[in-house]
Amino acid sequence: MRFKVLVLSGLLATGVGQLALPAAELSVAAKDQDGAPVADLIVWLTPLDAPLPPPPTTPPDAEVVQKGEEFSPYTLPVRVGTRVRFPNLDDVQHHVYSLSKPKKFDIPLHGGDVEESVVIDLPGIVPVGCNIHDWMLAYVLVLETPWFARSETDGAARLTDVPPGRYTLEAWHPRLRRNVTTTVTLNAAAPALAELDLQLRPDRRLRRAPDATGRTY
Amino acid sequence: MLFVAVAAAQLTTYLVVSRMNRHNAEQEVAADLAQAARVFDRVSSARAELLATSARAVASDYAIRSLFADAEDVPTLRSAFTSVRERIAADFVALTDLDGEPIATSAPVATPTLAVLVARADASLTAEATGYGFAGDRLHALVVVPVRAPTITAWLVVGYAIDRAFATDLQQQTAVDVSFVDPADRVAATSLPPARVLGLGEALAGLTTSTESIVTADFAGEVSLLTVRRKPMSPAGTMTIVLQYSLDEKLAPARRLNRLLLAVAAGGLVLAALLGLTMARRLSQPVQALAAHTRSIARGDYETRLTLDRADELGDLARSFNAMSTGLAERDRVRDLLDKNVSPAVATRLLRDGAVLGGEVRAVTILFADLRGFTPMSEHLAPTEVVALLNRYLDRMSAVIEAQGGIIDKFIGDEIMALFGAPVESGGDANRALRAALGMRAALAEFNAELAAENKPPLAFGIGINTGPVVAGNIGSHRRLNFSVIGDAVNLAARLQTLTRQRAFAADIIVSRATLLAAGRDYTVRDLGPVAVKGRSQTVEAFALDGES
Repeated sequence: MRFKVLVLSGLLATGVGQLALPAAELSVAAKDQDGAPVADLIVWLTPLDAPLPPPPTTPPDAEVVQKGEEFSPYTLPVRVGTRVRFPNLDDVQHHVYSLSKPKKFDIPLHGGDVEESVVIDLPGIVPVGCNIHDWMLAYVLVLETPWFARSETDGAARLTDVPPGRYTLEAWHPRLRRNVTTTVTLNAAAPALAELDLQLRPDRRLRRAPDATGRTY
Repeated sequence: MLFVAVAAAQLTTYLVVSRMNRHNAEQEVAADLAQAARVFDRVSSARAELLATSARAVASDYAIRSLFADAEDVPTLRSAFTSVRERIAADFVALTDLDGEPIATSAPVATPTLAVLVARADASLTAEATGYGFAGDRLHALVVVPVRAPTITAWLVVGYAIDRAFATDLQQQTAVDVSFVDPADRVAATSLPPARVLGLGEALAGLTTSTESIVTADFAGEVSLLTVRRKPMSPAGTMTIVLQYSLDEKLAPARRLNRLLLAVAAGGLVLAALLGLTMARRLSQPVQALAAHTRSIARGDYETRLTLDRADELGDLARSFNAMSTGLAERDRVRDLLDKNVSPAVATRLLRDGAVLGGEVRAVTILFADLRGFTPMSEHLAPTEVVALLNRYLDRMSAVIEAQGGIIDKFIGDEIMALFGAPVESGGDANRALRAALGMRAALAEFNAELAAENKPPLAFGIGINTGPVVAGNIGSHRRLNFSVIGDAVNLAARLQTLTRQRAFAADIIVSRATLLAAGRDYTVRDLGPVAVKGRSQTVEAFALDGES
């Protein structure tokens, strides 16, 4: 599902640029200070020498599911204007909300029969929580560029169908103090590889309560 | 000496026990303080945890969460703090941004105070921090928790005031006095009464103590046992929590025990002294009394009796002494009576040889003296006068007889029977008997002169003396014995006395030839010729004694 979203976005992006130029490809490999692969890292490219492609006429779709009293995925990159759905696959209700600047929203207690969606029109970080499950946390990263990807558990992310050229490569992760920024030049002849060595802060997510009587972390 | 030894032992015991007692008490107090300090740590961390839990609950409230997340509306925030403070019974609430810059506070706070705490919370894995700091000029225990919406968007700081009420509450829970001393050694809050707080800061300034050590400090006029907890202050410095026991107060039971011990020791000593004295007195007094009594007995006082009312050996001894005194007095009285009833010589001999029945034959001179015409004369006198007169007479006669070594054998009415040579032979018995007779004559003349002066008629006597073998001894029954002599010589002496009644002889003293022969000296005598004596077939040669030649 997550993969599908990613590919769908990529196809949409390439659909615009394919007519003019051959596509280039960038692979990102992210490691933390201990050499461990970094998952859920969001990377994106912003062209330095060309304007961003115009937003799509129909808003793209994305979704963050509530399953097993967790959000999935943990981090989700979307383009500005994307409609993000929050389907509840659990038997219990959830109260999804965000108090973020790009998008404040509040889906009061709901079960699986209600599927609310939110269109996010401003770029930025939209942390999403559940008011009744403090440990449930997801980030929707709203970007202006159509070229973005999220790293898998092996720390690898692939950006495909990117027009060759010079780009700013940025990386974001909840445990990164600051966005990592670097410049990359892509050409169609050979896929580029960016290796990112990241300094991650400790994970301060609330741990899920083991049972009703336990503490929240 | 014994007393000194007992006293030394008591004193040593007291000192040792007192020292151990105090040492134990101090150790116990120290252990108590350590225990109280652990309780304090537990109680204070529980309080901090309770506050943190309350803060977390508040920060998770959806409305509050949205309000705090949107930190623009400061007036609304401030008014919301009122509710928050009441909900969790906090004295202080503040909201800071992610850098610890205050957005809104319920009381003024010096700038870096909250930022330092927030930085500590931000650096920790739990994203929380506790500490101490001043807010609104009051010391507060502060807790920082994140406002998660759902990510950390702000920091909520809550605190409770550390004041006298708080310190007193802690003191009541932990039974240890608590004082909070700020980095400038000022006492910010304490459970101590004001008088005892004086000098606490100064006392602490001089102490370099680690967290776990317990030290003794002397201030505010008493000795205290202290242990300290150093806590980081915000923005800087260290706050000292002093946990304190008054050693004086805690040692009071030990001191009471000590006093009791001293009293018991002293009491025991006094008791021992009294007991010793009493026993010594009980022993020495009767012994001294016995000694004094012995001396008085030695002086011849047999009348005094020892009064020792005791059941022991000394009592027995006293009773023996008294029995002895009685015995001695009895003997004396017997001797006295003996002397009066028998002649002293007989008495001596009786006492020496005992009163035994029996007799011996010995040569004895017997003297009989009888008053003439006393019986008709006595008819004109009162009986008491008769006895008095007779006693005067007998007294004088006896004195003369005894002066001559004779013994009064018996008085038979107005008659005297005297013996010379019995029971003790002393040589010259006949001679002494004759001299006694002459002495009696002279004594009677003298007595008659006295009687004449008293207008009383004169007395006259007749004396008969004979010498011969007699049986001398204690004569009588077992119950009553008399020393006496029996024999013909005795009868003759009595007969010779009766001869003096015959006017023809005109003699007041008549002696036998045997006596004169035994005397062996010359006396002026008048030969009365052979005289017929009543009860005898043969005549007797009798002589009237005129005087000594």
